[in-house]
Amino acid sequence: MKLAVLMSDYRTGSDIIDRLSAEKLGIILVGNGVYHAAAKEDGKACAILDKKAEFFALTEDFESRGFTADKLDSRVKAVNYSDVVDLIFNDYEKVIWL
Amino acid sequence: MATRKLAFVVRSLPYKTEASRLALTHAISSQTVEIYLNDGDLVEASISYVGDGVFNVMKNQQAGKHYGITTNEGHAKNTLLLDLKVLICKEDLDKFGLTEENLVMDADDLGGDMKANIVSYSEIQKEMETADHLLFC
Repeated sequence: MKLAVLMSDYRTGSDIIDRLSAEKLGIILVGNGVYHAAAKEDGKACAILDKKAEFFALTEDFESRGFTADKLDSRVKAVNYSDVVDLIFNDYEKVIWL
Repeated sequence: MATRKLAFVVRSLPYKTEASRLALTHAISSQTVEIYLNDGDLVEASISYVGDGVFNVMKNQQAGKHYGITTNEGHAKNTLLLDLKVLICKEDLDKFGLTEENLVMDADDLGGDMKANIVSYSEIQKEMETADHLLFC
């Protein structure tokens, strides 16, 4: 299955991400989920970014929180709302929200 | 004549929920409580940012542009226009690799005199212990 995961929290949901399996997995970081891409704790990037998946972060949400695209982890691509719609309709078959 | 100490402690991330914004607006409005008190009675409020809450005072928040709402950065700046103690936890800033450069430390551009203070968690703990009322959100 081709699965897109919309992740909108920072402190919850990582346990589910660990267990998810899909032939194509996309993790779209929205809302407070963008801290996974932009924040580092003790100098370390967020562990979910080690998952075999494509990562996206919604520009509107990380900019609203004071971050810029150049501060995102290199594994994460900045996308806007219409990119997210395209991803959901063109690249993935199923979508879940964490 | 008595002084009631209020301590607002923000530990939540901004925007997804109203929690941190409510702490800010309540802290800002807390001094208006004095109109309901006896003459000479005072309210002394402080606001502290700990844990994930330190992200509320990030500079360059663009929530106005994207969400059409006022930013928590703007609210944080408003706290510095009042006689309100603002404390930011040093250990949590260090954990996230944030420095003064990344944060709202003053409201000079709005004519404010107050500065935010980066302090160790033990000082915030003291603030909580000496407060008459504690709001933790």
